[in-house]
Amino acid sequence: MTHDALTCKRIILEYLVDYEDGSMPETERRDLELHLSHCPPCVQFLASYRATGRCLKMLKPRDIPRNLAEAVLRFVRKRCDEKE
Amino acid sequence: MAEDQNTVDLDLVRRIKSGEEEAFREMVERYHRRVYSLAYGVLRNAEDAEEATQDAFLTLYRKIGTFDESKKFFSWFYRVALNAAYSRARRRKPARTVSLEDYLPRFQGDGHQASPEFAAWVEGIEDETIAKELAERAEAFIGELPPAYRDVIWMVDVEEMKPADVAETLEISMPALKSRLHRARLFVRERLTEIASVPRDGERRTAP
Repeated sequence: MTHDALTCKRIILEYLVDYEDGSMPETERRDLELHLSHCPPCVQFLASYRATGRCLKMLKPRDIPRNLAEAVLRFVRKRCDEKE
Repeated sequence: MAEDQNTVDLDLVRRIKSGEEEAFREMVERYHRRVYSLAYGVLRNAEDAEEATQDAFLTLYRKIGTFDESKKFFSWFYRVALNAAYSRARRRKPARTVSLEDYLPRFQGDGHQASPEFAAWVEGIEDETIAKELAERAEAFIGELPPAYRDVIWMVDVEEMKPADVAETLEISMPALKSRLHRARLFVRERLTEIASVPRDGERRTAP
């Protein structure tokens, strides 16, 4: 990848997911970081992409209904008894 | 998921197949939270998710004989759980989904971002109250995604399952998984930016 080819568009649409999960090859990662070093809009975009991930992680742990395991066991037992 | 997890799973599966009631109880204890959470991702309603969890374990109990023990148990059972949730979802009025293309970032002809905006909410996220509010909005936005994208972002970013495990469960390739994940993240990011940032001039889509 040449630096010239590495536009904001390609970074955002094609490379960001690999960059974030660490699967981007070293040379390409360096090119991407070089782009970031002189492109504040992309730095800002990356910050908001990461913040989105942080928001999503907050949705866990979700409250599990109390006694769900018991309710499941009762349900399965009842349905199986009906069948027999 | 680690190999020893699957070993424990397979031991339980064999005991259930041989009719050991206690093994089924252990399986429910082991998986009910994860199954509920997965179902919630599809249905986003506590009552429906609880019922889908019950359906999933009933299917497990009845169909365990068909499970091929050379495969990973969790990916088989997660598919069972997803199908139970999809089945409940089909009984409801279809949710409104959006076109992801409408919510991609925009670029100029030379590839630079068009009217890059300062996403003010990014700083707000340091405040726990604001972060929780944004997370709630993000959950609603996930619900607008087409199911194939919704399930991937829920399983990877909310449930924090390993992407490879999600790809296996959904029976899709890693490139397909990453592509869906990225598109879904871009959509949620764009929607959060839209509600909480300085509006772009003039040509902004109207939020519903």
